[in-house]
Amino acid sequence: MLTQQILDGLSKFYPETILSVTILVIVFVELFFKKKTRVSGWIAMAGLAAAMLFTFLQVNIPAQTIFFQMVAVDPFSYFFKVLLILSGFLIVLFTFLSDEIRSSEFKTQEYYALLIALTLGGFLMASSVNLLMMYLALELSSLSSYVLAGYFKKSNRSSEAALKYVIYGGVSSGLMLFGISLIYGICGSLDMFAISAYLSANPVNLITLLIAIFLMLAGFGYKISAVPFHFWTPDVYEGSPMPVTALLSVSSKAAGFAMLIRFFLVAFQNAGHPTITTEGLHQYITLPGLHWPEVIAVIAVATMTLGNVVAIWQDNLKRLLAYSSIAQAGYMLLAFVVVSPQGISAMLTYLAVYLFMNLGAFFAAILISNKYKTENIEEMKGIGYRSPLLCVSMAVFMLSLSGIPMTAGFIGKFYIFSALINNGYIWLAIIGLMNSVVSLYYYIKILKNMFLIRPQGDTGAVSFGAGYSVLLLALAIPTIVLGIFFGPLTKFAEYSVQIFGLK
Amino acid sequence: MINNILSFLIFLPIILSIPILFFKAGKDKLIKTYTIAVTIVVFILSIILYFGFDASKSDFQFVEKVQWVTDFNIFYFLGVDGISLLLILLTTLIFPVTILAVWNSITTRTKEFYFLLLILEGSLIGVFLSLDLILFYVFWELILIPMYFIIGIWGGKNKYYATVKFFLYTMFGSLLMLVAIIWLANYATPMIGKFTTDYTELRKVSIFMPLNIQMWMFIFFGLSFAIKVPMFPFHTWLPDAHTEAPTAGSVILAAVLLKMGTYGLLRFSIGLFPLTFVRFAVPIAILGVIGIIYGALLCIAQKDMKKLVAYSSVSHMGFIVLALAGMTVESVQGGLIQMVNHGLSTGALFLFVGFIYDRRHTREIADYGGLTKIIPIFASLFLVVCLSSIGLPGLNGFVGEFMILAGSFASPNLHNNIYTILGTIGIVLSAVYLLWMYQRVMLGPVENEANRNVPDLNKREIISIIPILLFIVWIGVYPNTFLSKSEASVKRVIENVEAAKKNILNIY
Amino acid sequence: MNYYEIIFYVFAVLTVVSAGVVVFSRNIIYSAFALLFTFTGVAGIYVLLNADFIAITQLLIYVGGIMILLIFGVMLTTNVTNVEITTQTLKALPATIVVAIVSALLVSTMVSTKWAVKDPISVESTTINQIGELLLTKYLLPFEIASIVLLIAMMGAAFLARKN
Repeated sequence: MLTQQILDGLSKFYPETILSVTILVIVFVELFFKKKTRVSGWIAMAGLAAAMLFTFLQVNIPAQTIFFQMVAVDPFSYFFKVLLILSGFLIVLFTFLSDEIRSSEFKTQEYYALLIALTLGGFLMASSVNLLMMYLALELSSLSSYVLAGYFKKSNRSSEAALKYVIYGGVSSGLMLFGISLIYGICGSLDMFAISAYLSANPVNLITLLIAIFLMLAGFGYKISAVPFHFWTPDVYEGSPMPVTALLSVSSKAAGFAMLIRFFLVAFQNAGHPTITTEGLHQYITLPGLHWPEVIAVIAVATMTLGNVVAIWQDNLKRLLAYSSIAQAGYMLLAFVVVSPQGISAMLTYLAVYLFMNLGAFFAAILISNKYKTENIEEMKGIGYRSPLLCVSMAVFMLSLSGIPMTAGFIGKFYIFSALINNGYIWLAIIGLMNSVVSLYYYIKILKNMFLIRPQGDTGAVSFGAGYSVLLLALAIPTIVLGIFFGPLTKFAEYSVQIFGLK
Repeated sequence: MINNILSFLIFLPIILSIPILFFKAGKDKLIKTYTIAVTIVVFILSIILYFGFDASKSDFQFVEKVQWVTDFNIFYFLGVDGISLLLILLTTLIFPVTILAVWNSITTRTKEFYFLLLILEGSLIGVFLSLDLILFYVFWELILIPMYFIIGIWGGKNKYYATVKFFLYTMFGSLLMLVAIIWLANYATPMIGKFTTDYTELRKVSIFMPLNIQMWMFIFFGLSFAIKVPMFPFHTWLPDAHTEAPTAGSVILAAVLLKMGTYGLLRFSIGLFPLTFVRFAVPIAILGVIGIIYGALLCIAQKDMKKLVAYSSVSHMGFIVLALAGMTVESVQGGLIQMVNHGLSTGALFLFVGFIYDRRHTREIADYGGLTKIIPIFASLFLVVCLSSIGLPGLNGFVGEFMILAGSFASPNLHNNIYTILGTIGIVLSAVYLLWMYQRVMLGPVENEANRNVPDLNKREIISIIPILLFIVWIGVYPNTFLSKSEASVKRVIENVEAAKKNILNIY
Repeated sequence: MNYYEIIFYVFAVLTVVSAGVVVFSRNIIYSAFALLFTFTGVAGIYVLLNADFIAITQLLIYVGGIMILLIFGVMLTTNVTNVEITTQTLKALPATIVVAIVSALLVSTMVSTKWAVKDPISVESTTINQIGELLLTKYLLPFEIASIVLLIAMMGAAFLARKN
């Protein structure tokens, strides 16, 4: 009987299993190469592709938990798995094309294994329904990202980044562990459904619960770099190799959001009794007296405002993108305040869109640093005329991040603000939109330097190989197309809102 | 084709802009010829539209409606009525004229410039034709991008400051509008039975919303339009943007972009929230009058010709705001024709400033004097345009201003004719600043020797300016050609306002 | 107060006091040794909780293994011992206030919360069997994932420490 259950679980755990095997294969294969090699990169891609294939096979499995209520296989985790694999895939390609990594004297062996481990961690973060499992998943993804951030051992910036990341990560995960223990102390279980059942049946001390939630938020907030747990972000983003920065800004963040959403919705809602409102929508009910959406609202506003305001003063493109990604996390958190399927699907839509535009922005930054050897925005004067394709794509990503219509970013923002306004949070929407205006200032500052100022000194055209252009277009075109035909994406997001146990 | 003429109007320039990117760099002449050919085709299309338009109907015509976003009921919904028809004609006329007039001013990055111009034209037409709020919003914002680059790449000394200011100001307003759009559609959902951003549907229910909610939506919509118009005190972006933009940019900015604001006020603020507009008519009129007088006073103090023309826009747009606040058929008709007039005469003024700037590379009034003897053709045509802008009877400005003043004088919505009376001061002041400028630049002895050898207008420049002069006289002599087309639509707007006043006030 | 409680408090005090020394001592060797007592104290508490296997593991791994490694590390990097490790107190007042508030909050919740206390259950002589069974059934997945986490940690440490 038990064996049967484990085997059954295993049959729904292929993507994760494949990723684990990929890690081992990469480590093993690398033993045979003395020099730098791309083989492990190709293995990583093959592993990701296989995992993607098996993830696709899961599309029609009814939502359920496996391994004795440890992880869920449901549309919600499916969405994040697709997102994480896509992002992992692109990051491997970025790594191939980054001069920064190519020119480093280090072998690449651990790099790809760690990348896959981070993706695996993200998978588990998105699907855990048990706090123990959640914590392990978080640690898996954190540990691999610490090492990745310090991948350039000889660079002081990179080492500093890794150290900062470890310290902040350690403190946050410690706080989170304390939060988990408080919740366990109150509810006597680590299972999210059991917690939810206990909370809806028994009166509990809400202050203790709120403290526990705050402590948990330290862990989530650190992963998604929300204020006030964002301090590591700029330094780590600046110091890490660029593909790693891109990975942290998308994969890590997406997984953090997945965990946050699942934890709050499953553990802190009357999971058993979703009610149906007049519009036929399912409504999640918050525990009476427990004002966590308000807490999230405050954090969201603080996050986007701080991110945007500080980003204005940045001259380093990576630091600027770091603050911009903090601000973007703020927008996504805004949608979470709504606590309705509409809000969650808006978040998911935004995340999917964010994947393309943010990875695109980082890829463009990689290419700029490859060819122009600079990360300083002031030194990018006039490069729009030297490499038009690159800079026009960068313009698309920047405009999309700021939410100009006809780009995917607009659709993301549109859905988020629709959800907010739909639920009466008009002032929150206005604050969010005012933030977009602020963000526009620094995004167009980049465009200004690229296009409006004549190049000085060398003005020759700088072109790229076909591979670079293809990848750039592969990111830029979806950013525009998703701004016009976004039906399938939003449908997918709406479908994915079904979290196991909550429909 | 005739059924889809509106789509053609929008997408012809946008799609035909793409080949420009593949022209060989340096083939400037070919690029210019190509662009002007495209804009002329668009102009011809709009003339076909003019003749196909049935002036007796007040409904939207040539309607195209395709579902764009299913779950939100957002449509690709286009239609034209008398109000938008005139603005379309203005837009499609101004583009070829401008391109011809500034033929040689753009010497760097020609390809990109003309590419952006065509994109700009398409999206401007899109703004005037969209009947779905989200579609409208999309075009509204799309305009920012070409305009940003046009000012930023080909602009003057302080272009960075001007572009950023222009961009952030407009963006601030338009994002508030986005909130209002979603809020409105959302609030209307139970009334209509579905979430939709279809203007014609929303218009039917928006008047029944609680007045305080209407007020906020009105303010959010209004703010973004007020910034675009620009109404006092949101006008500070305008002089910077105008002064720094290249001539073509200034002309299009003044002639068409500012009309987006007044068009928005007329179509959406009045159309969706008639009653709130009535409630706010007096403050709006006051802002309009302040704009008229303040703008005019600033003009008198200007030493730079382009700045002077820019501030005169603030003053003239004030009249249109006053006209809308008056909300009678005459005043709104006057406002509408004044939108066209302002586009023609201020556009032409900018062109003339551009002509002289191309020759002397200075815009300081003090650098000139006595040009009449040196460049007689320029002087005479410039005088006509100045007089048109002042409002000399027989030219277009007079018709518009007269209708506005007459219409708002007796307007029941303003309760008082003081605004109209103050508005007339603006006309007097406009005569002062324009004629004074004309005198300093054109008349008197030639003091600056550098002006001796300034060549007169060449054939190309004269040809480019003739269509504008033609319409200046045409509207001045026989405005009915245009007024008759818009009358039914304007009447309908006013009837809606009156009906709303009656019905709703009975309810409350 | 019965014997059980007395023993509990002895271990608790041992744990907390030595943890305090770990944090407050200015000499890193003292800190390392104090950590030894913290681990031992925790092991004692595990014993009191009837968690015999975990107590032994705690002793073997933490006290026996990790502690020794740590002390080796400290000793071998002799430079560290000579360096004056300055742990200055910065912004003492705000820190005190924050600490006071947080601890007051924690203590008050500790007292006021109704914790979910499990009823005592009779245990067999040892818990090893049960733990073993659970690790291979209910906690199979966390167990396996923990091994991957450790693998990654090992790889990462090896990578960072290696002289290339």
